[in-house]
Amino acid sequence: MNTSVKLRLLLLACAAMLTACGGGSEQSASEDSGLDNSQEVLDYYAAHPDLFTFATPADIPADLVWDDGMDEPIIGSPDAKKGGTFYYYIEDFPPTLRFTGPDTNSSARSWISGYYRFGYAHQHPDTKGFVPGIAERWAIDYDNQTVYVKINPAARWTDDEPITADDQMFSLFFYLSDYIQAPYSNNFYGTQYTNITKYDDYTFSMKVATAKPDMAEYVLSLGPVPQHFYKELGEDYPERYQWRYEPHAGPYFIDDTNIDMGTRLIVQRKQDWWAKDSKYWRNLFNVDQITLSVIRDAAKRTEAFRRGDLDMMMVPTAELWYDSFPDTDPDIAGGYIHKNTFYNGGPRSNWGLWINSDRHLLDNLDVRLGIQYAANWDLVISNYFRGDVGRLRTPNDGFPEFSNTDIVPRAFDIAKATEHFAKAGFTQRGPDGILVNAQNERLAFTLTTHYDRYADVFTILKEEAIKAGLEIRIEILDGAAGFRKSREKQHDMYFMSYAPQQIMYPSYWQSVHSDNAYDDAFLEDGSVNPDRKIKTQTNNTESIADFELDQWIEEYDDSSDKERMIELSHMIQQRMHEYASFSPGFVEDFYRTMYWRWVQWPEGFNFRFTTYPWEMFGFWIDSQMREETNAARRAGRTFEPSIEVYDQFKGLQ
Amino acid sequence: MSLFKLNPQTAKKLRRFREIKRGYYSFLILAVFLLLSLTGELFINSKALVVSYEGEIFFPTYSAFHPGTDFGLDYQYETNYRQLKQHFTDTGSDNWVLMPPIPYSPFENDASTGIFRPEPPDAAKQHYLGTDTTSRDILARLFFGTRIALVFAIGFMVAVYLIGVAVGCAMGYLGGMFDIISQRLIEIWSNIPFLYMVIIVFSVIPDAFTIFSRILILLGVMVLFSWTSMTYYMRTETYKEKSRDYVAAARVLGASNTRIVFRHILPNVLSTLVTFMPFTIVAAISAITALDFLGFGLPPPTPSLGELLKQGTQTLRTAPWIVMSAFGTLVVLLTLVTFVGEAIRESFDPKKFTLYK
Repeated sequence: MNTSVKLRLLLLACAAMLTACGGGSEQSASEDSGLDNSQEVLDYYAAHPDLFTFATPADIPADLVWDDGMDEPIIGSPDAKKGGTFYYYIEDFPPTLRFTGPDTNSSARSWISGYYRFGYAHQHPDTKGFVPGIAERWAIDYDNQTVYVKINPAARWTDDEPITADDQMFSLFFYLSDYIQAPYSNNFYGTQYTNITKYDDYTFSMKVATAKPDMAEYVLSLGPVPQHFYKELGEDYPERYQWRYEPHAGPYFIDDTNIDMGTRLIVQRKQDWWAKDSKYWRNLFNVDQITLSVIRDAAKRTEAFRRGDLDMMMVPTAELWYDSFPDTDPDIAGGYIHKNTFYNGGPRSNWGLWINSDRHLLDNLDVRLGIQYAANWDLVISNYFRGDVGRLRTPNDGFPEFSNTDIVPRAFDIAKATEHFAKAGFTQRGPDGILVNAQNERLAFTLTTHYDRYADVFTILKEEAIKAGLEIRIEILDGAAGFRKSREKQHDMYFMSYAPQQIMYPSYWQSVHSDNAYDDAFLEDGSVNPDRKIKTQTNNTESIADFELDQWIEEYDDSSDKERMIELSHMIQQRMHEYASFSPGFVEDFYRTMYWRWVQWPEGFNFRFTTYPWEMFGFWIDSQMREETNAARRAGRTFEPSIEVYDQFKGLQ
Repeated sequence: MSLFKLNPQTAKKLRRFREIKRGYYSFLILAVFLLLSLTGELFINSKALVVSYEGEIFFPTYSAFHPGTDFGLDYQYETNYRQLKQHFTDTGSDNWVLMPPIPYSPFENDASTGIFRPEPPDAAKQHYLGTDTTSRDILARLFFGTRIALVFAIGFMVAVYLIGVAVGCAMGYLGGMFDIISQRLIEIWSNIPFLYMVIIVFSVIPDAFTIFSRILILLGVMVLFSWTSMTYYMRTETYKEKSRDYVAAARVLGASNTRIVFRHILPNVLSTLVTFMPFTIVAAISAITALDFLGFGLPPPTPSLGELLKQGTQTLRTAPWIVMSAFGTLVVLLTLVTFVGEAIRESFDPKKFTLYK
């Protein structure tokens, strides 16, 4: 009896400990500690005169063409009403409220900053043209790789301090500092920007390392860092600022009193936000308060939504869309819950199998090609996703012009798979139907992933691959362990996607350049270095190393000629396709949302270049309708059901 | 081994066990199920029992795989015997196929609509308990999942007892410093969190390991962290028996330590051991199910009760038959084992006329 009780208790205790991790630290006191690093910052500026320059307004070139971005269409609906509370969830409580440094990459990160933090200018979510954020106007000097920015004097931090060019100067100090323990930021700011010049309190310019076609974005998407808030920046930065909310220029903020450690986070609208009446922002950021409850389990989230505890829900699976919430569901047929499908634009999540071409057998092109033909994605798409999603072509789909649309992903074909496997020496089938070669090695590889929600996809791939004589062993690890495995290049095949970034053109260096596959991949003459060692902790998940490809990527990265970059981009993608180390899976060119009737949307539902329905916060909550709907639901009165498809952007990429 | 030779005492206990009907029948049901499940491939399988093709007889169940070309089909991969049967019937040939009563394997997706989703029980399609979220036969998965759980639990019990009894006996019999040091070590050991160990171990073992070796490793880890509690009972029992006159007598007669432990002490502490056994099995089944439920157990797509339960809780509204099957099986299984355990305890109770109310 004791064994049994003990085992169960152990399990329970462990499970409880696992779920209870995260959060829990005491809030650090934010009183004035008397620390002041102003002198240190000035000394740093003085020590790096090339990087930090102080000039006068007279030094601004006179022939600049200033742009204020006021010609774009307005965003959102003029009918939007301010007010109300939006109830949503976060998967886990953030381990910190900092925006930078250790542990900031949590699932709640976007909710504590990303979705509403302001930069100098923002890309219009429908046209991609720049519209003013903190900047009042800006000018781009392509010849000198410099972007000039005039800060809007009305701009205020969320703690009401004014935003000045000093804060932008400080941001470079901040992101280059070792204190913040963010090597990525150190590297990015250290390599991309070569100078910042302050002309007056509201005018500065920044010089970028290369004049890329999207050079303006490199500067305008930045945001300043509040110098007054970081007076105490020092070695103890991660602990000192762990639970202190950094002021920013956006419309929402989190107050100390609104942090319910481990369970709930409330984001508040700044009623007197400085940009609330500006042309582009006045119809956005409508709800007064966003209440985010921690709900870890997907099934519980579904139930919470059904009870009306959550206002909205993304619908990632066909099962939820068709079976759990069919159109005949009483809440949907009764018009209480609305459903819609919205086709969006922009780069896509690249779901697929990332094959590590450094592994034994997988370094053989024919084995990789065989795997490509043995992966039955079409069956996954038609039978698991019910035909709603499309087949991915390349890992870089959805970049207008830059994506090579001539590439056709390889379809499931047992004959071709068998042919390629045979070329690689796998000619005989073993007693279990799996191919073996002359050395008696089985054609078996492990598919590692941390996406257990797609477990069904893997079993389909596995069962189909057996037909071609390939065994796929499925290994589902938890997030951290799985991610680590792929970073250490210990995987055979990894199933995942890189999060899409709303950028103009794909970046290849990090994912396919040999610099990120091996240390010294090639000798001087371009032949393979026999002593090369695998390089870990990079995004080259496929361990691609191709000498010619490297040349193209370097030319692409150095080029400022858009046409040439497009040409190179197509060549690179074609070569990646031939290298066959990425088995393109599925791509969603839409997102599906369910929401309660009181959530109101602009015409056309949402903006073209959005990944989530709440991005830019164009919706608003009708609190009166909330009451009315709840009362009607209790009384059994129904409304007109609403199941919409918004396909105005379908096929536009 | 003389340990298991029936002396009159044991025979009496066994007789008493048979008299406790509830436990005895539970035991019979479990034993029959276990025996049946060992040859489960003959009842639940997508491979045919017998195929007669062009005058030749094939028995695909336990033999190496037959590509479709063996039976005149045009593909190189494993024959789909259900289709083959249909094919033979359609073409009206003399060839025939005999399928098992439930012609599905626990791994294959069989979606009648072409969409992988749970389908309710349907006797006509021979999905007697319906299908799970990827249209795999639930009965097949339950059956093989239960088999794995049972074999796993029995293996767990044997290993835990071997280690627990050996260490416990040694502690009790040798006593002194050995006893004190071992006890402290056990106390430290038993405080290592077991679930973390499972997660850690699974994140470091090479992925080239087969599913079978992964299951063995999981068993190993569970045993490693579960044998300690058994030592406490064995130690006290051995201590007690050691000071009895018959042990002293044996020693005076010149019996070796080994002989005293195995011939004299062990048979006398057997009743303690035996009464714990069924509960250890219950614990092992619950543990493996819980681990699977949490996603740290048997690697997919191994059929398992915990995995079905997890699916079931996620599709409570849309496919209640999944959770009902998995939950029902678990309840029946654990109840049967508990009945057996209760009966054993009662029959080994020295106070025969104790009444349980």
